[in-house]
Amino acid sequence: MLSGAEREQAYRAISLARALDERMWRLARAGRAHFAVPCSGHEAIGVGYAMAMRPGVDWLAPHYRDLAALIVLGMAPRDVMLCFFSRPSDPNAHGRQPYAHFGSRALHVLSQQGPQPNHCSHGVGCAWGSKLLGDGSVTVIAFGDGGAQKGEAHESMNVAAIHKLPCVFAVHRNGWTQSVKRSDQYATETLVARAEGYGMPGVAVDGSDVEAMHAAASAAFERARAGEGPTLIDAACVRFMPNTSNDDDSRYRDRADLDEQRAARDPLTRARVLVGAEFAVQVDDENAALAAEAAEWAEAQPLGDPATVADHMYA
Amino acid sequence: MRELTVIEAVREALAEEMARDERVLVLGEDVGKLGGVFRATEGLFERFGAARVVDMPMAETVIAGVSVGLAMRGLRPVAEIQFADFIHAAMDHLVGEAAKIRWRTGGDWSCPMVLRTAYGGGFRGGPYHSQSVEAFYAHAPGLKVVAPSTPADAKGLLIAAIRDPDPVLVLEHKRTYRTIRGPVPEGDYVVPIGRAAIARAGRDVTVLAWGMMLHESLAAAETLASEGIDAEVVDLRTLAPLDRETILTSLAKTRRLCVVHEDTITMGLGAELCALAAEAGVLDVPPVRVAMPDIPGIPVDDQLEDAVLPNRATIRDALVHLVARPRVYTGAGAHAAYDPGIPQASSVVEVALPVEHTRLALDALVEAARSIPRCNATFAWTGIVEHADVVVDLDLGPSAPASGRGTITLIDYGPDGSDLAIPFVRPGQTAAVRIGAVRDGRAYVACAVDHRAVDGADVGRFLAAFKTAAERESVVVA
Repeated sequence: MLSGAEREQAYRAISLARALDERMWRLARAGRAHFAVPCSGHEAIGVGYAMAMRPGVDWLAPHYRDLAALIVLGMAPRDVMLCFFSRPSDPNAHGRQPYAHFGSRALHVLSQQGPQPNHCSHGVGCAWGSKLLGDGSVTVIAFGDGGAQKGEAHESMNVAAIHKLPCVFAVHRNGWTQSVKRSDQYATETLVARAEGYGMPGVAVDGSDVEAMHAAASAAFERARAGEGPTLIDAACVRFMPNTSNDDDSRYRDRADLDEQRAARDPLTRARVLVGAEFAVQVDDENAALAAEAAEWAEAQPLGDPATVADHMYA
Repeated sequence: MRELTVIEAVREALAEEMARDERVLVLGEDVGKLGGVFRATEGLFERFGAARVVDMPMAETVIAGVSVGLAMRGLRPVAEIQFADFIHAAMDHLVGEAAKIRWRTGGDWSCPMVLRTAYGGGFRGGPYHSQSVEAFYAHAPGLKVVAPSTPADAKGLLIAAIRDPDPVLVLEHKRTYRTIRGPVPEGDYVVPIGRAAIARAGRDVTVLAWGMMLHESLAAAETLASEGIDAEVVDLRTLAPLDRETILTSLAKTRRLCVVHEDTITMGLGAELCALAAEAGVLDVPPVRVAMPDIPGIPVDDQLEDAVLPNRATIRDALVHLVARPRVYTGAGAHAAYDPGIPQASSVVEVALPVEHTRLALDALVEAARSIPRCNATFAWTGIVEHADVVVDLDLGPSAPASGRGTITLIDYGPDGSDLAIPFVRPGQTAAVRIGAVRDGRAYVACAVDHRAVDGADVGRFLAAFKTAAERESVVVA
């Protein structure tokens, strides 16, 4: 159970992520930026584990739909929009990677790559580093159920379990890998049973319930900090939007079914119950204004200087 | 100095760096109690313990991937991929991640990891235990690739790699491990990454090689020495980034190139090295590559493997043919004297000169060329190569034309020539000087330069230096 103040913090983060998400989607559709990667529907998962993290101590190897987690960890709306507009002043990817390739040394967020889920083993290496350095930090490794089908995820979970590394594997299980449905990706209903095969506990969580997610993450953190090793969290959620702004999900998803799922499992409306309608409306309005201001400001920031394109290849 | 084998040198480098820096750890398949299949990590497990000498599952992807994560956290992982043939499962983490991390984060993050692997054929390993993989990885900007050939370099380059702030792939030729023995400095010994070495100096032809092929090339060079061919053998040592300066300086001297590698010929590193030489305009004859034919793997059959791998005999034969080829003077040459594509800048001065002035003019030209080295250079799109020595190509007219060699051309048709004419710059040089006929103790001296390499103002300075030197001598002579 989250305290009253924690519930408000959680709601603020989910609401801000949603406001930024919607603003980015509209701007991408209007041709003002290259690429949007919506996180709508996923917000409660990241907020759940990010609120269990100690800022500046624990580490996150993020999912590309982890905007809400980044907000909890301290990513400002303007920085999110610099990333969205791929400006050189973006602290995530400096205009060199498209939106959603998050990363911040200051916030302890490992730099994200394109091929999914290569950051699984980077996160395991990060957790291994925590163990060798003895700093007591825990690493959250977040990826999708699409990524979970790759050997990378298997090899990473295996090594983390062998060495009882202080990390948490959090699968944002929205049931889709772009257009490929769950039953064409894996034969089981959830991924929980895999955990036992590696020798770690696995838990299934309703990923649209921020309190349930926070509770599961907190238990996993406790286990990791106690030196008992990793946990696999299977967090079910609904991907509200197409895969990215380059995707057309009407070719493979049933609209009525999606609308029904969105209505039933919206992390924002579910969190609204925790804070009350009056608070929620006020926060939503504030966040819509923040998102608009951040977008306007970031779009006006200068593009990269071609003379710098080969900078930072080597030390 | 005491002598070690290559494998002993690798082991010593690992042990010394682990003792020096507790952030260094070794991970890979069988690196623990077994000490690695080649025994590169022998003794490390007993000395440094299981936390720093880690046996990994047989999973190359995660061996490279956790190394990336460890390096991002400031540790110094030294991963071992047992055979280079297995490395491609790790390629995404090397090329897609390690090589890009600093660049893609604007320098916020770095990835100071080392990945060592044993490559190369010649020991009946067949197609999956013999390959050379350097071309795949040298193609990835952001990644450094080294390939030591000697015990001293095996130690010095591995230590440099471990201390390097960026990812380094260390390719160790498995046949050198126990067959190559040599002096190795004790204690802290670093061989800088990015520098080739002249393994054998020579004047007739440059051989570029690394790994076991370096030793085969040296053996071929020794055989050729008794046949009157003096080959220079360059040990590249670092394959990415290439030491262009050492390579081009050697080629500017020999003007003939042979690249030797075990990798298959098409798209191998030899292609890049030949392109480098061609673009620099430093070859007088077409280059030659001695490499594996384009077949999918190295066969295990004794006769077949011996037939496909280059060796001292095939290298020797290639060099004999290369040296016998007539120079076609694609660079500076009497038969391709001028290139209308070279943009020219020119200037003229009047110089006090005696009628007999050839020796004096040569000395003055050498002095002027030393004072403005850009005028004694070769232009290439990859950069201007300034020559260490001044070699004047003298053109005294139809009876004694320019030879096409040399770093700068001096044209002097004597008292029967015209008073003033602007010379043209020969390909491969950046300046040409023409002395007009001497009238009343004075002559016009004109200089043209390749305007891509030399500023117009420098032509004037060059001629002024020539005039000063020539008139000083003229006075003495007078």
